[in-house]
Amino acid sequence: MKHLIDSKYVRLAVVIVLGGLAGFLFTAFHLAPPQDRSITITAHKYAYDPPVLQVNRGDRIHLHLVAQDVTHGFYLEGYNLEAKMRPENDTFWVRHPSQGGDFEEVDEVSFVASRPGKFRYRCSITCGYMHPFMQGELIVRPNHLFSTSVGLSMGLLLGMLLVFRPSSQGVKK
Amino acid sequence: MATAERILTEPVPQEIEKKPWRFDVFAHLPWLKGLVRMRSFQFLVILPNLFLFYLFLIAGFFGTPIGNRNIIIVFVWILWWFVLIAVMMPFGSRLWCTMCPLPFFGDWLQRRSVVGVRSGKSPGTLNKFFGLQKRWPKRLSNIWLQNFGFLFLATFSALLVTRPLVSAIVFGVLILLAAGMALVYRLRTFCNYICPISGFLSLYAMTSTVELRSADKEVCLKCTTKSCIRGSDKGWACPWNVYMGKLDRNNYCGLCFECVKSCPNDNISLYLRPFSTSDVALRGYDEVWKACIMLMLAFSYSIVLLGPWGWLKDWANISEKHNWGGFGMFAAGQALLALVIFPALFYLSIRLGKWYARADDVSTKELFLKYAYMLVPMGLLAWIAFSVPLIMVNGSYIVSVASDPLGWGMNLLGTAEFPWKPLWPQWVPFAQVPILLAGLYFGLRGLHKVGSQLFKDPTQLFRSMIPPAVLLLGVTVLFLKLFIG
Repeated sequence: MKHLIDSKYVRLAVVIVLGGLAGFLFTAFHLAPPQDRSITITAHKYAYDPPVLQVNRGDRIHLHLVAQDVTHGFYLEGYNLEAKMRPENDTFWVRHPSQGGDFEEVDEVSFVASRPGKFRYRCSITCGYMHPFMQGELIVRPNHLFSTSVGLSMGLLLGMLLVFRPSSQGVKK
Repeated sequence: MATAERILTEPVPQEIEKKPWRFDVFAHLPWLKGLVRMRSFQFLVILPNLFLFYLFLIAGFFGTPIGNRNIIIVFVWILWWFVLIAVMMPFGSRLWCTMCPLPFFGDWLQRRSVVGVRSGKSPGTLNKFFGLQKRWPKRLSNIWLQNFGFLFLATFSALLVTRPLVSAIVFGVLILLAAGMALVYRLRTFCNYICPISGFLSLYAMTSTVELRSADKEVCLKCTTKSCIRGSDKGWACPWNVYMGKLDRNNYCGLCFECVKSCPNDNISLYLRPFSTSDVALRGYDEVWKACIMLMLAFSYSIVLLGPWGWLKDWANISEKHNWGGFGMFAAGQALLALVIFPALFYLSIRLGKWYARADDVSTKELFLKYAYMLVPMGLLAWIAFSVPLIMVNGSYIVSVASDPLGWGMNLLGTAEFPWKPLWPQWVPFAQVPILLAGLYFGLRGLHKVGSQLFKDPTQLFRSMIPPAVLLLGVTVLFLKLFIG
């Protein structure tokens, strides 16, 4: 048992976990009060404007979607939301993909940004050559996954250096 | 310089003396050995790919110009790419080269045989080859042409991976080039020195969990026939010009298994080994720059193709947007990043490490070449992390395109109307994080392994590692920022 605890791999694992924990804690206290945000997203070949939305967890997002040139789609991963927009239309069509069913014509769609992290919104209707790469980003803060991952990476580096450091290899200086 | 020929002239490096665990596959699966010894083996594995390749070319030239409705784009750049980079490379080494249809016609012209072996004499071999059988110029016997070729193609990647016609033209040119070169030069000169795919396969095959090696190198050294490299009536001379007695890395072994057929001592076997532990030595600036180019292209693709910035996509999408100024900036920026900026950063980290370690007895060049191995597992895993969303998000196109390969409105399998349906896209980041962390882990481990071969003093080793290790951490965090930050 002592051998196991002394094992360099256990030390490595401990440092990695501590790094991840530190990364998580770095964003854990990011507590912004929820607010309502009205955002208009304009789709055009092959991007969305704005390309990145930064919101806080708990915010209620009111989206108005517009297509500038041709018909575009809007598939927001993680939030079960899909829409299609046609040029010169003030309204757009929305559905929840997991439930299937028909699209419903609306002039706004709203949802609560309850899941933190980075989520892509992608074009779901073939709109041209670069269509598969047309996407934007919804970043819901606090982004625990990112901060934890950076912490884990730093922990991994530190842990590996601890394992590799001369004294841990039993060499007297 | 990194040539197959160099393997013949250099002494066996020390690192192969301390082999980690390996498992003799042929000893445990004799039927597999029997299979690869069949003369028709390679032809049989190439044949389906040849048929698909023919279909892809037809689809590219005559099918719909919309990429995500054309089989050449969906099957090559989504399905094949993912299988190649995430499955074949880490677990099969250069298995793709075993089944690649590109050099098929060249081999046929050169051998005038699809399956059989022709004994006789051609320069350096005991097989009869046809064509001019010229030697490839020595100064080009490296992977620099593959480096520049791949970087050039990558400049047009936005066109290549979205335009069926562009993909078809590129593959058509490659197949003609392979055939033409086989008529002029010896063996697989195209694969060794020109093929842009072969260049990165050679690099990332180093990490693979399989290797084809001689069971006992002493047997090879005593062998008088050297049939593996010279050929015999049982097998063709190694198309990659590799002598098994000195083969200690996967880089330039194309897994054609001709040596298994021709070895008179039954001394060649396929081995399993741990990931990224055995071939940990880059041997030339060409290989180091290949590692830098591939890592930076993974970075560039992640920004341009998977990023949200439309202006950058417009710059890369030259044939539609015609923004030549923007395209010039994109091309120059990408080339500068891959050829100058990142290699300079890496060089700086090496100089810092050398200074901190007071390592006057180790040359900067040696440190630069050896420590570059850390970029190999990191690069491969960064490419895998980049490829995960491609298959998870756009994989459903495979189902629809399989039923309507040319986008002509056919419905061969009844799935042509299968909707675009991303597969758990919200979980993609949770797959990318461990992949990138694994890249960092294997990179650091590789760094320590090559460092241990360079330094006897553990303090020097430790200090020399710190700056490049921090650079590797920076690369990891950058990819994390792009994918999940």
